[in-house]
Amino acid sequence: MTSCFHCNEPVTTGEQYTTLIQGQQQPMCCPGCQAVSQAIMDAGLSSYYQFRSEPGQRQTALVPEQLSQYSAYDLPEVQQDFVHKQGAIDSTSLSIDGITCAACAWLIEHKLKPVAGITNVLVNSTTQRALVSWDSHIIQLSEILQIISKVGYQAAPYQVDEQEKQSKVDSRKFLLRLGLAGFATMQVMMFALALYTGYFTGLDVEFRDYFRWVSLMFAAPVVLYSAQPFYFSALRSLLSGKLNMDVSVSIAILGAYVASCVATIQGNGEVYFESVSMFTFFLLLGRYFEQSARQKASVSSSNLHKLVPLTAHLLRNGDATEIAAKQLIIGDIILVKPGEVIAADAEVVLGQSSVNEAMLTGEQMPISKHLADKVYAGTINIEQPLQVRVTALGQDQLVAEIIRLQELASNNKPAIALVADRLARYFSASILSIAAITYLVWLSISPDDAFWITLSVLVATCPCALALATPTAVTCATAIFTKLGVIPRKTGIFEKLTKIDHVVFDKTGTLTCGYLSIGEVQTFGQYSSEQVLSLAAATEQGSLHPIALAFKPFYDNKHIVEHVDHHIGLGIRACINQQQVCIGTAQFVTPDCNQVSPQALESQWIFLSIDNKLVAKIEMLDQLRIDSLATVNALKAANIKLSIASGDSSGHVEFLANKIGISDVHSGLSPQGKLALVNRLQQKANVAMFGDGINDAPVLAGANLSVAMGSGSAIAKNSADLILLGDHLSRFNDAIYVAKQAQRIIHQNLLWAFAYNMVILPLAVTGHVAPYIAAIGMSVSSLIVVSNSLRLLRIKL
Amino acid sequence: MSIIYVLIPIAMLFVLIAVSIFFWAVKSEQFDDLDRQSVSILFDEDDIKANTNVNDSTNSHPTNSTSAELVGSDTLDDKPESKP
Repeated sequence: MTSCFHCNEPVTTGEQYTTLIQGQQQPMCCPGCQAVSQAIMDAGLSSYYQFRSEPGQRQTALVPEQLSQYSAYDLPEVQQDFVHKQGAIDSTSLSIDGITCAACAWLIEHKLKPVAGITNVLVNSTTQRALVSWDSHIIQLSEILQIISKVGYQAAPYQVDEQEKQSKVDSRKFLLRLGLAGFATMQVMMFALALYTGYFTGLDVEFRDYFRWVSLMFAAPVVLYSAQPFYFSALRSLLSGKLNMDVSVSIAILGAYVASCVATIQGNGEVYFESVSMFTFFLLLGRYFEQSARQKASVSSSNLHKLVPLTAHLLRNGDATEIAAKQLIIGDIILVKPGEVIAADAEVVLGQSSVNEAMLTGEQMPISKHLADKVYAGTINIEQPLQVRVTALGQDQLVAEIIRLQELASNNKPAIALVADRLARYFSASILSIAAITYLVWLSISPDDAFWITLSVLVATCPCALALATPTAVTCATAIFTKLGVIPRKTGIFEKLTKIDHVVFDKTGTLTCGYLSIGEVQTFGQYSSEQVLSLAAATEQGSLHPIALAFKPFYDNKHIVEHVDHHIGLGIRACINQQQVCIGTAQFVTPDCNQVSPQALESQWIFLSIDNKLVAKIEMLDQLRIDSLATVNALKAANIKLSIASGDSSGHVEFLANKIGISDVHSGLSPQGKLALVNRLQQKANVAMFGDGINDAPVLAGANLSVAMGSGSAIAKNSADLILLGDHLSRFNDAIYVAKQAQRIIHQNLLWAFAYNMVILPLAVTGHVAPYIAAIGMSVSSLIVVSNSLRLLRIKL
Repeated sequence: MSIIYVLIPIAMLFVLIAVSIFFWAVKSEQFDDLDRQSVSILFDEDDIKANTNVNDSTNSHPTNSTSAELVGSDTLDDKPESKP
């Protein structure tokens, strides 16, 4: 089996598609990859193939509808949300799907730079985004998006998470603080070494004081600038009447620094400058890890939140003009073409069609709509053009109702108290009280030493190791998650994942692929099943019905198709090669039908007749995802209870549940029903919920842990804790495994940190810890914790 | 030994320069994309006289993409303001 030169997928199409690359005909797996590689070569960008470190993304060639979709991005009302105008130059940031390595970024930049009208392009391969500026008089945004799609990437404006804006600023600040602390710590440590050797060999007081003064100066920016976050966090927690780790940290940093300054000025006592700097540096390192993991997550979730402009064709005096959906007013008549998203809740005033409401209800099959029927925003028109009158906008739409329910559910989401936070509180409280007791006791023994010994207690019982224990492990685990294609969106995921004991699946789009495909084909008469499928595909060509899409792969253009006649909810009649071909329900294809056995509930059969004679029946299935069964079995093996909660009310749900062995099945549930079910289960268990549709959003928001499919709707992804990119269900099991390993490492780290503190505390209390011992103990314990966390990266899955 | 009174201030000056260079690098976004810049030297920076005609058509055979893909299902990113 040869593999595709562009995307490395196996080539199943033989020698059909090839591209001349660097003098050799290279095999391609599909017309999409072929078109993309050809475009890359035509533009003279063969360096891409030379230097890429990852295969490209598998391409599905764009269909014209998708390209015309881009035109909506040119509407000024749509653009005002994401385009920044400066004179004649517009600029925006686009999220680009399919960037796998630096070569991709280079390719996009070089493809765009020479284009007339584009003034600036900057592609960032880490965040998978491009910053583009263009002159709107010369080129339109939609054209830019098309150029990008020609070289095989999908670009779209995105909605920036509030969280992301904040975390970008925070990350940069942390990096500055961390860098400064690093530089200063190195310097202070050098002088500290001189002081240590002086301590043992006797250094002139003159030089000792000189070194101390220099250390004082180097440590100043660390204490005054780098350590600021700890002071603020300590103040916040004190004001709210709680204790956190930062309280004892701040007291130690400030106390040790001020005391060391006093010692330097007076020329006696001990100095702790190197401990203070290193202390701050290590703690900041932990915070920086946490921060960068958080930023990665927020960037990925913003990237997933593509802005799809919702537009409508407004009918005025017989002409349709495209306007942004937010400009609609109640009573407007809009035209909805087949394949378009309906822009607002409305009622049909002209035409009849069927509408796919799967996103709202989970129902697989389109629902017929006739005059005066209600249609809802976000659903997709399938068959015929419809004219509808807008009846509700904004907050009054059905979708807004579901969003309100989602918000309500997320407020009632069971909070988990993170183990690390609880430990930190106890730890701080006990350290502070031990320090206070030490001070009082030593005050009565020897008042001169009391302060120094108390200080060594605060510095030596270093919370460094404790503060690094969780973030380092979480950072490593997050890195593995990213490799797996699992995006953690909230904090505390790892702890939640290990506690899950009941998993609830949505059916459509989660356990199943979410689109119909062809199962069994039974033929009656002289036709083979290939002929039947080819005829069916010819008849269904041009329809957007889910059934028609299932036949797409079987389409070839050898038939002459005329007089195609769609009958909503029944089927299609067409004249093919001078024969009348009908496809649809049994009653529709053979009016005098008696050869048709009653259908089983679990799947749908459609029938094909030629000249009113039944020739075949074809089973339509929503196939299970490839790894659904494996995932379910693995979860069962781990003693996790399973349920299905689906909005679909057909027998198909039961059938699937039997097939994969889930006994607890709830079908025909409204979004409220799903939420109620999960809330009921939550009284006895920690519930994880899988979903993808708008109708799953509330229940995802309310479950202890929620997982959204990467292909799901934006609102579902918004309320999820985890997002599975690439829709591999089995990655969830891997995620649980990684989370368990991460928990184990965290526990080891905490145990080590405590053990170290238990040993050093008595020594410090009794006054046996010199500054250099404090510094060494602190760094060694922190390094052990970090290297223990790094073991996570070697997990074999 | 008294030479250190000269040498250490010089060392401090160096550190100051290093820190300011680091601050400048962070502020000019040089740490924002570490994967990209590490390999940028490998690519030829020739100005390519590319065929930049936007309207050349690639042969786009429609393949199996569902209608759900064609119309992003994310209608909710765009909340229309309700008008009184």
